[in-house]
This record gives sequence, structure tokens and C-alpha cells, in this order.
Amino acid sequence: MKKILAMLLAVVMVFGLAACGGDTAEETTPATTGQAQTATEPAEGKKYEGVELTMWSMWGSGEPQALVIEEAAAAFEAETGAKVNIEWKGRDINTLLSAALESGEKFDIFEDDYQRIATTYVDYTYDLTAMAEAAGYADYSYACFNDQVVEWAGFLNSIVEQPQIGGVFYDKAAFETAGIASVPTTWAEFLDACAKLKEAGIAPLALDGAYAYFTFYHHLVRYMGEDALQEVAMNGGWSDSAAVTAAQEIIDFVNAGYLVEGAPDEYPASQNKVGLGQAAMVVCANYVTTEVDNAVGAIDWGFFNYPEVEGCVDSSAYAGANSLAITSYTENAQAAFDFIQYMTTGTYGQKLVDNCGQIPADARLTESVLVGSVETLKNSTAPMSWCGATNANSDLAQSFKDAFNGLYAGKYESGEAFCAALDALY
Amino acid sequence: MKKNRTMILAFILPTVFCLLFMYVYPVVRTVIMSFFQVESLTSDTSAWTFNGLANYAKIMGSSGFQLAMKNMMLIWLVGGLITLALSMLMAVILTSGIRGSKFFKAAIYMPNIVSAVALATMWVQYIFNYDYGLLNEIVQLFGGEKVKWLGLDLKFWAMLAAFIFGSVGYYMLIYISGIEGIPRDLYEAATLDGASKVSQFSKITMPLMKGIIKTSITFWSINATTFFLWTKMFSPVNTEGSTIVPVVYLYDIVFGGKGIIERDAGAGAAVGVVLTLIIIAVYAIMNLTLKDSDLEY
Amino acid sequence: MANYHEKINWKKEAKLLPGYLIVTTWVVFAAVMLFWILAASLSTSREIFTGTVLEFKSGLHWENYATAWNSQNVSVFFANSLLYSVTASAGVLLISAPAAYVLSRWKFVGSKPIRLGLVIAMSVPAIMIIMPLYSLAVQWGIKGRILLIVLYIMLRVPYTTIYLVDFFSTLSRSYEEAAYLDGCSPMRTFWKIMLPLVQPAVITVTIFNFLSVWNEFFMALIFTSSESMTPVGVGLLQIVNAMKYSGNYGAMFAAVIIVFLPTFLLYIFLSEKIIAGVTGGGVKG
Repeated sequence: MKKILAMLLAVVMVFGLAACGGDTAEETTPATTGQAQTATEPAEGKKYEGVELTMWSMWGSGEPQALVIEEAAAAFEAETGAKVNIEWKGRDINTLLSAALESGEKFDIFEDDYQRIATTYVDYTYDLTAMAEAAGYADYSYACFNDQVVEWAGFLNSIVEQPQIGGVFYDKAAFETAGIASVPTTWAEFLDACAKLKEAGIAPLALDGAYAYFTFYHHLVRYMGEDALQEVAMNGGWSDSAAVTAAQEIIDFVNAGYLVEGAPDEYPASQNKVGLGQAAMVVCANYVTTEVDNAVGAIDWGFFNYPEVEGCVDSSAYAGANSLAITSYTENAQAAFDFIQYMTTGTYGQKLVDNCGQIPADARLTESVLVGSVETLKNSTAPMSWCGATNANSDLAQSFKDAFNGLYAGKYESGEAFCAALDALY
Repeated sequence: MKKNRTMILAFILPTVFCLLFMYVYPVVRTVIMSFFQVESLTSDTSAWTFNGLANYAKIMGSSGFQLAMKNMMLIWLVGGLITLALSMLMAVILTSGIRGSKFFKAAIYMPNIVSAVALATMWVQYIFNYDYGLLNEIVQLFGGEKVKWLGLDLKFWAMLAAFIFGSVGYYMLIYISGIEGIPRDLYEAATLDGASKVSQFSKITMPLMKGIIKTSITFWSINATTFFLWTKMFSPVNTEGSTIVPVVYLYDIVFGGKGIIERDAGAGAAVGVVLTLIIIAVYAIMNLTLKDSDLEY
Repeated sequence: MANYHEKINWKKEAKLLPGYLIVTTWVVFAAVMLFWILAASLSTSREIFTGTVLEFKSGLHWENYATAWNSQNVSVFFANSLLYSVTASAGVLLISAPAAYVLSRWKFVGSKPIRLGLVIAMSVPAIMIIMPLYSLAVQWGIKGRILLIVLYIMLRVPYTTIYLVDFFSTLSRSYEEAAYLDGCSPMRTFWKIMLPLVQPAVITVTIFNFLSVWNEFFMALIFTSSESMTPVGVGLLQIVNAMKYSGNYGAMFAAVIIVFLPTFLLYIFLSEKIIAGVTGGGVKG
């Protein structure tokens, strides 16, 4: 026993030392090259010779987006001479960014949700207005995002990398089987389509618990609009609002048996049922199509806006974006901006579209999935937020999520009961 | 033996430094921070503004924190009762002279050495899955209806069950070592006197293991208050009310969770202090009620 | 217990039957879970979602392992975990063993508060200490692997010291007296004579420290700021998430197996030592 142990420990030690060795080698490289950056001035020849950029990415290495960005960085260096070091921080990047920006950590470009960039990090972001104007950014980007950013931040502080739209995503084949000729635009038409689907033996709607919040949020916004909804979310008074009707309609919807078996399910079990042909529709953002295709095999996806209700107040669709920003203290703002442009437009912008199944960040590119979404985004003026009105009450957001989920789980008898339960929270 | 001052100093100083740097300083600073308005964890102390008990008032009034505390209490009480009872049962079985007890002991303890992320993934993605999960297969085998284990109503209990499954081995080992410390002849004498296994357990095992049970309750309390990873694994997209616990609440308000834009490190510190007070309270109550019996045997 | 070979006494075994049933059910449940995960790691996502994992209709998908391994720097995660575990369990010995020795041998000013402090430190929840440590790390610009190494060493000091104090106090003082008469300095005596004498305890506590650091999650999550310093626990979470987003469930389960296997194998060899470590130190705490 002891011998085995000693041997194991010895092996472990060797590995440990090897790891140490690798460690020091890796750590020294960026340090030395970092000094080179300040030492050498841009030489003749390439535009940004000697410039070094550091980018904090929200992807993990090996993800499709990461591969494209890496490729873009290599090509950018070959073309302009600027070296781009990319650090893969993963989707939890938001837990790192605030502290890093506050302490003035050395990096030039970072990726995150555009709303967070425009609100949480705004003090540490570079004003891109002049550079964007010089590049003609407004001509090929989406006004709805740029306007939002300016409204939140006061100036343009991010460039869209990955636009997203939300609504109802459906399996075209299922609609054909059920004999649904055109996509529903009103709640009545939607229910009608659901009935046809059910008759054809396909469950109408798939729903994962994680997206129940977002799904019912649509319905509330249709009835109340986001401003009125936020008012209610902050101060209560659900029972005296249109939320009663909205909730009742969902209860009727659930009672009609229009949810797929198991819904609201644990993400992503339910959404995958669309891919397996068991359900026809799912309410989400466009990335659901890629997720489902990868998980269970590709289907032909269609998309329509969440239906309007009677007396509809606000029929806008969700739109959001992961965007790129430049730190306010960067020394190479123009080079950073040029790299952002380089990777989101042209060859590499197209690769992001084709390889990662996303909507083009540059409206001039060719869509590969969900054709028509660029048009939708171009025409959109004031997009719906991702549950922004209910999240505004950060104390109760958690309870709202549970209540909305419970609505689809059949926990409430009536719209009144649901609203009474919400009002009881205040 | 002579005292050697230089040597004592040289040998003890690193540990003292570690205690001061890693424990005393941070705890003191966290306590102080909990009385100040501090937005960002990294902001300079000059940017702190004193606001008395406002942080405590804030978290106490927040429904997220209330939910978290409720869940934590359920984990502590229900989870604790089940875990400690199961562990005791396993310990008694494995010391009753069954064959292969070494193997069973090792097998039951195993979840403790596996990365909890791997363990939780197995539970979430397999055992509790609605369509192909093990539990629903078993339920269907007996002709039952499939159950939504991860639905709104059951998710918390599903998470707790998975956590208990992983924890039992540890407490079982503690109890086994306690039972093995009790002299065999006590049981033999009792058997001769005609005492049943059950009365042997309640008359001999339990009283003699008071100290160990006390320890295990304290450990469980620390486990329950620092519960974090399982919630993260059971609510992957964003924090959910059904599974939220205080540490996750703290993590979200200090480091920013999905959809949370406002951050508040001062309130986070207050959460930490509240949790520590709870641990201290449990510890004190344990010492008052379960006095170490100085039974000689 | 009952390690000696005795003839099977059926009457006795029958009485123990309920016990056998309970522990066997427990272990079988765990075995089924592991077996299914293994099967799922060799299947496609579609097979997993349609519940046909055990049929292997499309053959064994070993490529899931390649996908899981290559998708992120799994080798870096492993190297990091190994580095943290090895350096932390070695480093903590350098600090704790001498302290445990003097604490067990002499009463001096502060020896009591130090012992008490160590016991209390063992039950201080991590969340009480991470916030100030985090801001210090940011202020002083300490990052990278060294940060976690230092934190892990200090994190394990209280437990290790308390554990070793008990063992040093069981050693007879005659060793030191003999060494003194031979003209051996007290420091030398410690390193050359006393420390080797508690070797079994040192090995046990080291294995235990090694595993705790290997499986530590909370601090790793908070202090890891780049992929190059990520240990396996946090790394696995990232892989699981990435695989979920890209819908590759076979590879996700493969990643679970990849992370699970090394500790599992280590455990098969060392389970007795590890179990001794659990019951040795903690209980008296």
C-alpha cells in the first residue's frame, strides 16, 4: 500500500513540476511582448505595425464563434500588423468585467450584452461616435440598437456583434402537416393554429421553465406596454390591470392542452421536442434554432412575431445584442475599432453568420438562417427588452419568475387568482 | 525540555500570519463593510459611506433574500434530518457485521471525492430528466404517470435529494468511527440481558455518541449555510426562486447575475454576516443543549 | 469489523438481510447512474433525447471524447488542478507541520488563542473572507495561478495544523531528549526525526488536502479570471454550458466522465487512506 502511494505521489509530483514549467513559460511571453508594445513606434509598411491589442471574449475557446474570431485576428495581423491577443473568459464574463475595468486592467476590447455595456460599464467605455461616423457605421447597422445605446449611455459605446431577435420559432414542416397556410398574427389566429396542430397530432407549443418568464412577458407587454407594466411591477396593482386578462388567456391556453407533454420542462428538454417533431413552436430568441439543430438534428425553421392581442398596446418584438466595446483608457482606440469592424463585417462577419447560425451584424451580409430577420430588425424602432420592465423590481424579479412559470404549470385557477398572488408580494 | 524561543517563533509565525491575513482581516473587514454603502467590491474604502443598518434592512426586506433564507432553513432542517438519519442507518448497518462492509463504505462515500459539478450534471441531465430519466423509468415500470421532477413544485426537493445522496457518505463515516469507539462488550452484555437491537441502539449507541452527533450537526449547519454549487447547477440559465440560497443571492448582488444590473457589495457583506451569526447560534445552542456527557466506559 | 473468515451462518445473515437490501439498493442506484452516463457519453444527442441510449444503434461514438477534450483546454484545466492540488498540499505542510509541532510540545504566550483561532477558522464560511481577499487581489494586481495557490495553501492551514497537533502529541518526548543528548539542534530534530515519525498522518492529511483542493469550486469560480488558470471543476461547468449551448450532449457526458475518472481511479487505490482522513481529524473539531 505504502509503495503504491509513494509511487503515485511521485508521479503526481512530476506532473506538478511539468505543469509548473509550462506555467512560467506561458506567463513570461505576454509580459515581454507587452513591453515591446510601448517601445516600438508604428514603423513604415503596415498600418498598425507593433500595435498590440488585448480582447476579452465572452466565448470559450473551441466554440464556433471563437474559431471565427481567432481566424479574423490572424488575418487582421497579417494585413495591418496589429497583434490581437484574445482571452476567452466565457459567458460569465460579466462577473469579471466590473472589477477589471475599475482597476484599469490592461485590455482594449471586450464583449458582453449591449445593455450592460451601456449601463453598468458605461464610465469605462470609449466614445465610438466619431469613429463610427467616419466608418459609415449607421448605414449598415441597426438603428434600434444604436438608438437604445445612446439613450442609455448618452453616446455610442458599443458595436453590435451578434444581434438577436425574439418571438415564435416554428417547424415549417409541422405547420404544413397541420394545414396552416399563413403564420398567425393575432392571438385568435394563434389559438386557431394551435387547434389545427393538436388535431394533426403535434403538440403546439414547447416551453422550458427557464423561458416561461420571457414567454408570458410578451403577453403582458401586448396588453400593457412596457412602461405601464414596469409601473405595476414596481408598485403593485396587478389585479386592477390588464394582467388579469393576459393571465386568464394563458390559463385557458394551458387548459386547452396546447403545451407539449412535460412543459414547462427543464431547459433544454422541451425546446428539443420541436426538433424531434413532437412540438411545433417555441417562444425564445433566435439562438434556439441553432441549439435545437445541434442537439437533435436540423429542421426547417420559420419565425413570426408574438401574436397581437385584442386592443394591443405594444406589438414590438424582442431584440437584443451581444456587442463589442473599447475600454476608455485604451492606447489604440482606432486599431481596436478597426479590428471590431474587421471581424463583424465582410468575410469574417459572414463567417460568424454561416458558422454560428447568427443574424448578420452587418445588414449587407447574406442571411443563412431565419431569412427575413435583417428586414425585421431594420424596421424595428423600439424593441421589447428581455423582461426589463419586471426585472426593474430587482427585489421581486425572482418571485415574478416563479409566478410566471407557475402560470404555465397550471398552478392558478384564474387570472384573478394569479394577479392576487402577485399583489400579495408587495 | 528547554523552550527554544527562536524556533517556536519561526515555526509558529507563518501560521499566525495566515490566520491574520486569511481569516481575521477579511472577517473584520467584511463585518465593517456590512455597515457601509459600498457599490463595488473593489471600490476604495474612501468611497464607502456609513449607512448603519440599512444594508441589513435592505436584505431583510428583499423577497429574494427571504426566499433564499426559507430554502436554506428547509435544507438545514429537512435535509439535515434525512441526511443524518440515513447516515446513522448506514453506519449501523455497516457495523452490524455484514459482509463486504469495506466495499459498501467506500462505495457510499465515493460521491464525496467526485467533482460536484460532475455529480450534479448526472442528476440534472439523467436521473431527473422527464423523458428518459431513471426515476421516470422506474415510475413507469410500476405503472405510474411520469413526474416533472424539475418542475416548479419539485425542483427544490429534487435538488435536496441529490445533495443528500452525495452527503450521506461523509456523515456515515463519522458515525461509523463513533460506533466503533464503543466497546463491543457493552453490546454483548446487553444481548445476554435480552435487549433488542433497537433498544441497544437507543440505550447504548445514541447516548454514547452525543458528542459525535453534535459535531455532525455543526458540520451540517456549515454545509447548509454555505450551499452554493447545487443551486448553480439546478438553475443553469439564471437564478430561480425555487432553488435560490443566501450564498447565490450574495453572489448575484456582489458579482452581478444575469439580468441584474445594480450591484451592492455592502448588502453582500451583510448577507455574509447574517450567515455567520446563524452558524455561531447553532454552535452555541448545540453546546447548551447537547452537553458532552462524560460517561465513562 | 468482521474481517475474519467465518463460516456463513445463515441464521445470522438472514437477520442482516434488511441491512444488505438497503446498502445494496443504494450502491446499485449509483452504479446504474454511472453506467448510463458512460453509455450516454458514447451516444449522439438525438439518441439521448429519444431515450435510446443503451441500444447504440449508430455505434459507439468515441469521437465525443475527442470533441469534449478539444472543445476547450481540458488539458490545461487538468494541469491547473494538479498544480494547485500538489503545490497547496505541499505548501500547507511546510507551514502547518512546524506549527503543529510547537503547539503540541510547548505552552507559550498565545499558544491557546492560536489553537482556538485555528479551530474557529475551520468553520468560518468562505463567503465571509472572499470579498476582502478579492478586493485585495485586485488592488495589488495579483492574478494568475499564484493567487489561487496562495489562497489554497492558507485555506488548508487550520485543518492541517489541528489534524497534525493530535499526532505530534502522541509522540514520546524521549525522542527529543535522545536527540538533544546526541547534540542535535531542535530544528534539525524536528525535520529529521519528529516529522518522519508522523509520516502516516502526513500522508493521510496530504491526500485529504489534495482532494479538497482538487474539488474546490467556490473560490476557483470567483478568483479565476482567465482560461489559463481554470481548474477542472470550474472548467467542467464551462464545458457543460458550452455543450448545452451547442447542443452536443454526448460530448457533455464525455466531459463528465473525463473529469470523473481520475479521481475515481485514485479513490480505488486510496479509499482506505481517504476514509481514515475523514474520521481522523474532523471528528474532534
